[in-house]
Amino acid sequence: MGNRPVIVAAGRTKFGEHYEKQPERLIEEAWLKASEEAGIERKDLEACYLSDYFLPITNKLGLEEGFLSELTELHVPMDVVRSFSSAFSNACNAIQAGKYDIVLVGGIEKMTDRWDKIRDDLMLLEDPWSYYAGCTPEANHELMLRAYIKHYGISNENLEKLNIALAQISVKNHLNALKNEYAQFQRKITVEQVLEARKNARRPLGLYDFAPISDGASAVILASEEAAKRLTDKPIYVLGSASATDYLTFPAREDMTGFTATRLAIEKALKNAGISLWDIQLLEVYDQSTVMEMVSLEDLGFCGRGTAWKAIFESCKDYRGYYEVNGKKLFVNMNGGLKADGNPLGATGGAQIYEVVKQLRGEAGERQIKTDGGLRYGCVLELEGFGTKSYVHILGGGF
Amino acid sequence: MSSEPIERRVSYLGDRLRGRRCQICGKEYFEIRDYCGNCGRKSFGKMEDIDFFYEKGRLELCTLVNEPTNKFTKLGSYIYGIVSFHNGKIRVPGRLTDKIIRNGETIDFSSLEGKEVVPRFRRRYSVERSEIIPTISLTFTFADEYYPYQEYCVAKPNKEYDAPGIVGYGVYTSRFRIREGGIERSVPFIDEDAITAAVEAGKLALIHSGVDSSLVGKVYVGSESNPYAVKPIASKVAQVLKLGEEDEDVQGVDAVDTEFACKAATSMFKDAASLVSYPKMGVPYAMVIGADNSQAAPRDCPGGELDFFVGYGGCAYIFGKTDVIAELEGWYSCTSDTPDFWRRDGEPYPMHGGRFTGDPAYFKHIRKAAKKLMDRLGLKPSDINYFVAHQPNIQFPVRIARELGFKEEQYMPSIQVAKFGNTYSGSSPVGLAAVLDIARPNERILIVSYGSGAGSDAYSFTTTSQILEKRHRQKLTVKYQAENPFLEYVDYNMYRRLKAGM
Repeated sequence: MGNRPVIVAAGRTKFGEHYEKQPERLIEEAWLKASEEAGIERKDLEACYLSDYFLPITNKLGLEEGFLSELTELHVPMDVVRSFSSAFSNACNAIQAGKYDIVLVGGIEKMTDRWDKIRDDLMLLEDPWSYYAGCTPEANHELMLRAYIKHYGISNENLEKLNIALAQISVKNHLNALKNEYAQFQRKITVEQVLEARKNARRPLGLYDFAPISDGASAVILASEEAAKRLTDKPIYVLGSASATDYLTFPAREDMTGFTATRLAIEKALKNAGISLWDIQLLEVYDQSTVMEMVSLEDLGFCGRGTAWKAIFESCKDYRGYYEVNGKKLFVNMNGGLKADGNPLGATGGAQIYEVVKQLRGEAGERQIKTDGGLRYGCVLELEGFGTKSYVHILGGGF
Repeated sequence: MSSEPIERRVSYLGDRLRGRRCQICGKEYFEIRDYCGNCGRKSFGKMEDIDFFYEKGRLELCTLVNEPTNKFTKLGSYIYGIVSFHNGKIRVPGRLTDKIIRNGETIDFSSLEGKEVVPRFRRRYSVERSEIIPTISLTFTFADEYYPYQEYCVAKPNKEYDAPGIVGYGVYTSRFRIREGGIERSVPFIDEDAITAAVEAGKLALIHSGVDSSLVGKVYVGSESNPYAVKPIASKVAQVLKLGEEDEDVQGVDAVDTEFACKAATSMFKDAASLVSYPKMGVPYAMVIGADNSQAAPRDCPGGELDFFVGYGGCAYIFGKTDVIAELEGWYSCTSDTPDFWRRDGEPYPMHGGRFTGDPAYFKHIRKAAKKLMDRLGLKPSDINYFVAHQPNIQFPVRIARELGFKEEQYMPSIQVAKFGNTYSGSSPVGLAAVLDIARPNERILIVSYGSGAGSDAYSFTTTSQILEKRHRQKLTVKYQAENPFLEYVDYNMYRRLKAGM
């Protein structure tokens, strides 16, 4: 990537239920943290790239750009898209094109305000035909797991291990969230609890396999390399950023055991960044369910197809803070992932980027990971819909 | 609020399961696409229409939905999954229907995956009472259970008959029954209603007759439980079954609903037969359907007596002059303004005139129509092999049959009310179907319907040799449905819940 975009600051709110806070309070909080860190003012922003998945529906807002213009008293160009990664990628493009020097990327969602209707909304946006046929936001994850088990012929003892591995993902993410002050759930859970919840649900996946419904906001300040020099002495570079798209209707996709879009996106992102996959040791993946975290390890290329559960199972027998894959340490979802950190759709990608930024800068406090050769690269994977869109960003720092 | 254009587009595709196939590479789509994604521009004009409405699919994967989205809440728990057609060329999302999943019941998904399924035409989900009722065929039942798979093969007509008559028929009832007071009654599943029964019955009649649906020029649907006060069931039947020539998403068919209590369908037999008899009309076939989710107030309310007898089902007949299985020999109808049973507009349940519903209502009209027709045709009871009467209960048809001089072997085969309950507009048509299921060639059948309000239609049919030739295409016979090993019995509370529907 030429004229590399630089993340100069990142901020976020706690994720969870923010009953008493208006959406503007949340985005303001995230922005204030980021701007303070970068030492910039509102007036320094040349453009705003924002994301929310369905804020106008959940919160009966008008055109979000106008709402934010009023809030910030700014008249700069603003664009709203559906995911943080999408906004982030547009912002990167603009900076690379030399159009702007300092931009804000912000994301917000307030889902709990529409608690009673949110699952219908989510499903209709994910895929109307599946919705009409009776699908729920959970069902496709369970069907992907069924497809995975069948396709790879996993049975008996191995099936038991796979189910435990999926539970371990959730346990691990909850464990990580204990050290994340912003996480929605800061409590330990056990494998037994995860398995028990599945049994109670009478389904392949249970309550503890899924990310929650959340409120929250996140913000990132992106600058050109030139401007970044003035703003930070710990620049985090966007080395590669790519996305790919797949069919809306999950059953219509050729492959139901993973996400094709992710496979395409990681390939392009690595090429952009000019690094190899195994240079990456820090990963924030989109674990809307435990199945998603498992297949993402395969889609990104860290594990062979149909084998991620083995690596997870083995790594979590005696969990030491990372997965061991291919003889290497892989740190995944150190903030607790969507499962425990929370998943306010439009803001989620921001929290993922926030985590990688903090880790690369060595500012992650208790959560700070230690790699053998020093931490240089981090990767963020964000999905939209049920893998309809996949975004991969490769960030680098500490150079 | 439903959006009218969105609803139209969704049901156009989803009710019939339409799609397109690329003639170059063979790729199939559950969508009306003008070009193929593989072949691009060169495939324009080379996409052919397909549908998998009559096909058998396979349940690839499934899971349990026990926390549905809001619109599906009324269904309770159900199995949802992915169904493939045409050896996996097309995969669609789908819901298994006709399955009551009890609290705490666990499902072995792998025992269901891989099984063959057939599409069912059902309500999609629940909406407000004022809204358009959404329907869909992305609902499935197993091909080896209550509804067996039957192939739809359009047969080239062999023989032209002098008299018009029945070319094919289909009876559709639900898999659920309630057993009370010595009789069994069919109970709709929660996603069924008069509309879904009419479409399913019509589909079965097309399969049995082998008639090309585009040659059906008129369809009548008689019902007294249409969920709409204004909006025909017949239009849904015409569109889903592609009756008449299809052009620009419009069917070249006349479709109309009729209402005359329980004789709304039989009344149109003569109209259908007449229409197909006049060459200048250019209507080779006409379809008549009687379908009802027979209504009754709860037992402790006025009119609640009906709640002991009501059933659910639909029955469709195709009339024509080619490959007739039962020729129409003659008819007689009679009418009087007798207020024995009625339902005021906006009222959910009908009322009835108590002890007068038998005499002078039911018996007088059936007696009159039967006798007049027999006189006209110069028939004695012994000239008739089977007698079919409207059957609101067991006693009425037995009493009138005996009074008219018929013996048990003549009237008992048609009496199905003890198996299905009173299916209102479908009542005497189901009786006729039960007879057609077993009749030999050259037998005479007298059917006399009764509709409150009041009137009767009497018809005399004589069977032809074709009745045997088409029998192998009638898997879902009345007996098969009455004595099916997959029947599920429900208690009174479940019966009221299912009947109230979504």
